[in-house]
Amino acid sequence: MSDDEKFRSLEMENRQGFWKASLNPWLIRAKNNPERVAFVLHRVTGFIIIAFLLAHILETDSPVWSQYAPINGLSGWAAWTYIMGIESAWWARLGEWIVAGAVLFHALNGFRLLLTEFFGLGIGKPVEPKPPYEAPTLNAPQRTWLYIEFVVALVLWAFSAFLIFG
Amino acid sequence: MIEMENKASNIQIWQYITAILLIFLLGYHLLQRVPWLFNVSTFDQTLTSAFVYNQYKEAGWALLLLAWVALFHGLNGVRGMLFELHQGKTYNTIINVLFWLVFIVFAAIAALTIVKLPAY
Amino acid sequence: MALDIEAATKLPPKVITVRVRRYNPETKKIWWQEYKVETHKGMTMLDVLLDIKENTDHTLAVRYSCRMGLCGSCGVNINGTPMLACQTQVSQVTSNARPVVTVEPLPNFPVVKDLMTEFSDFFNKHRSVKPYLIRKDTEEQENPKGHLKMNPEEFIDILQFSNCIFCGLCYSSCPVVAADPEYLGPQALMYTFRFINDVRDEGHKERFAIVDSEHGCHRCHFAATCSAVCPKAVDPAGAIQGLRSKLFKYRLGFFKKKSSEVLSAPPEKGERVPLPPEATTLPGVDLKQFEKEPVVIKLPKE
Ligand code: SF4
Ligand code: SF4
Ligand code: FES
Repeated sequence: MSDDEKFRSLEMENRQGFWKASLNPWLIRAKNNPERVAFVLHRVTGFIIIAFLLAHILETDSPVWSQYAPINGLSGWAAWTYIMGIESAWWARLGEWIVAGAVLFHALNGFRLLLTEFFGLGIGKPVEPKPPYEAPTLNAPQRTWLYIEFVVALVLWAFSAFLIFG
Repeated sequence: MIEMENKASNIQIWQYITAILLIFLLGYHLLQRVPWLFNVSTFDQTLTSAFVYNQYKEAGWALLLLAWVALFHGLNGVRGMLFELHQGKTYNTIINVLFWLVFIVFAAIAALTIVKLPAY
Repeated sequence: MALDIEAATKLPPKVITVRVRRYNPETKKIWWQEYKVETHKGMTMLDVLLDIKENTDHTLAVRYSCRMGLCGSCGVNINGTPMLACQTQVSQVTSNARPVVTVEPLPNFPVVKDLMTEFSDFFNKHRSVKPYLIRKDTEEQENPKGHLKMNPEEFIDILQFSNCIFCGLCYSSCPVVAADPEYLGPQALMYTFRFINDVRDEGHKERFAIVDSEHGCHRCHFAATCSAVCPKAVDPAGAIQGLRSKLFKYRLGFFKKKSSEVLSAPPEKGERVPLPPEATTLPGVDLKQFEKEPVVIKLPKE
């Protein structure tokens, strides 16, 4: 092993890695940091949504593709009705409900990220640093938006449960 | 070199533009599933073939745009994560090719839905 | 992490157990070792580590220098949070119910030995963003004839970021650094913003080109852990979002760089004017008398 390789391997030893960093919001136990929870949730919900989206495009295309490859001998809108029949089972509804929650959170949090990252709004203005040294961004409007978004997402999620299971 | 350097911003700018579009398009699409707006009483009734056929006829172009924009936004996000997972020139090329492949295939499927929609 | 001002007034548990993650580069072994340490009021975690080194185990490697939160050498991972050992009170991280504290080397840095970590990657990234004033007029910069104007508000814009002590806590806590070893990291990006914010600087185009790369500022996901652990409230997370929105503005053609003009040189210093002969010292002070009987100030005995 060359020196450089040795250095690299040692370096990787102490790196926490992609999976831990993207899945565990408490990998670093920092106080006053709900943004990290939002970051992990944004990633996980994004993954759920893209998986659903790919399936959803295939599913909504069923009246078309079933003309070439009929399911159970059904094609066109009959195939659509057949698929909707499968999807009214409880496990499919549960999946739908999870996707609905993921979409709601991802959209609201994405809106906050749009404002902060793209427009540079809601982040702390530089101040003269004084003890006890609190970073201004952690008390800036973006933090309020974050709490609001958690609450609104939960309320809408409960409402969607009412729609989907009701 | 300069070209490469611009790219990082361009990709990210597209991510935000698609995000802004998604807020409106997805908002519209979610409202399509709220039964009381259409004088029906349950969620399931918004999913019958007659109902969905009408919505395709009315605003098929909006749904197609939504599918494309959402696909781009989602796959682009996954691409960013994959770049973070591992680094390397060949790896990056593979990911880029895969990204466009999946995007084009699914975008075409979505387009077919609107173009070749069978009559109800 | 924000300073816990109350912590120094509290009494830590009498005896604490310190679990240290150790690494021996010669045998390549990693193991956990426990030490018992007697504490006193106001003891910091650095005191604890030095106590161990002095009295129990001389082989424990710790890096420190100023022991007052200024040099940024003593960053370690205490109970899973990157902190400056010298600024962390024992009473802050232990309690009578749980008199145990774990100490690890900073994550995301290669370990040299025990708690010492290798910072060359970190500093190279810092250097790569050109952390110095760039002026178009290099001749003027080398041999300045006047001042560069900067008002107090513009100074506040960069003061917070200049307070960085290069401790690497932000770098060790960032989830993106944890995955992507080439990511510039919060500290380097924050420093880019500091110079782009600086009205005296004219190198924003070069710097934008550097951070607008695949491993630059767009990798950040605004998890803000960097700001939460920073001991100096430098706020790298906010800085990176500011940098990004400025970069987008720049790419879309709306960015306007605030730039200061060179002020004219201050007036030359004239000859020193000697005191007129009739000038005296304070009333009642007789210099000649003092020369004869020097005043002796008695210090209290130790
Ligand atoms: S930004 Fe803060 S945490 Fe990061 S190196 Fe500077 S002082 Fe340390
Ligand atoms: S805000 Fe950006 S740089 Fe800071 S910890 Fe999060 S991802 Fe890393
Ligand atoms: S020893 Fe200098 S910062 Fe802790």
